[in-house]
Amino acid sequence: MGNIDELIDKLARDGTAIKPALHPVLLSLEWIAAAVFYLAVALVVSGLRTDLIVKLHEPWFVAEIAVLAGIIIATSLSAALLSFPDLHQMRRVALAPAIAFALFALVMLFAWRADNPPSQPPIHSVECTLNITMLAILPAASIFFVMRKFASTHHYWSGGIAMLAAFSVGALWLRLYEQTDSIMHVIEWHYLPMILIGMLGMWLGKVLLKW
Amino acid sequence: MTDNSDNFASLMKQALAGDQRAYSELLQETSRLLRPFLAKRLSFTNEVDDLLQEILISIHKARHTYDGKRPYKPWVYAIARFRLQDHLRAHYADHLHHADDLSEIEETLQQDVTESAISYESISGEVEKLPEKQATILRMMHQEGYTAREIAERIGMNESAVKVAAHRAYKILRQKLEE
Repeated sequence: MGNIDELIDKLARDGTAIKPALHPVLLSLEWIAAAVFYLAVALVVSGLRTDLIVKLHEPWFVAEIAVLAGIIIATSLSAALLSFPDLHQMRRVALAPAIAFALFALVMLFAWRADNPPSQPPIHSVECTLNITMLAILPAASIFFVMRKFASTHHYWSGGIAMLAAFSVGALWLRLYEQTDSIMHVIEWHYLPMILIGMLGMWLGKVLLKW
Repeated sequence: MTDNSDNFASLMKQALAGDQRAYSELLQETSRLLRPFLAKRLSFTNEVDDLLQEILISIHKARHTYDGKRPYKPWVYAIARFRLQDHLRAHYADHLHHADDLSEIEETLQQDVTESAISYESISGEVEKLPEKQATILRMMHQEGYTAREIAERIGMNESAVKVAAHRAYKILRQKLEE
């Protein structure tokens, strides 16, 4: 007990005024705004796909883009909540990415069925994954950097969701830039790697988010 | 001070504003709140103290993640559970991993107390000299016939902790019997 009292005295002496962390909703809005800006810059640099106007008249393409944007929002919000030890007592909201990904799977299923006869896949393959990865490195690093200032008690989930947030930005960029109609190609080389990298993020979370 | 979430939240608000006295009171009350929670889950008083210190340091490090606008207890218990899990994972997994072979030792003792000249009764004096929790566990295991799981349920520990406590007790007894 003596040690505890001494420790409390010491901590109390160190207990200078401190500014409470940003509310997770505001934090996620910051991340989303940064993602929108980053995406805009990336599209200005890379250029938009030339058939974008035509594609925006295809319902399943629009749905895919909308749900991808939804994934960015849901994962950003969830990552912000997971940065707090108690998930800011909004545990259910932290599960939002599950709904977004379920919707996404549904949209991709319908898009795949609508892609009949199947569009010709592009000649390249893994280059898409590499492009998404290159573009996602900066958002991933910045999300992890911010999350390290908090106190997550869910390292695996925090890391995984942070990585998915970053890689969904990369995936959205590539979908607006790369001119391909093959749903199998985008599933195989855009979205499945994104989910696998989310799993790598779980490991990164364990390593990087210790406090 | 009453055990009231509002008081905790208000103390934390003052602490965040730099009131060191309020912060000290908050940490005192928090340690009173958490001690039974930890004691129920750990075998030894020194483990409880060590972990409590770790949790208090974690609360200090994470205090900026609490804004005083939501209940304090879920926040503090989230940190306590997180550190408790860390502690159990790190320490007990390690102990279990490096233990000679717990089941073998248990079997050895069971053979000793049932087949050889050494009965539980003949060493019960030594058992009673063990720390209280260890003695209770051995008594329940070998005199009353409970399994580790049943003991864990009855005394509010987890099964691994019961086995580790028993293992430590066996080691002590073995040393004494070999002297």
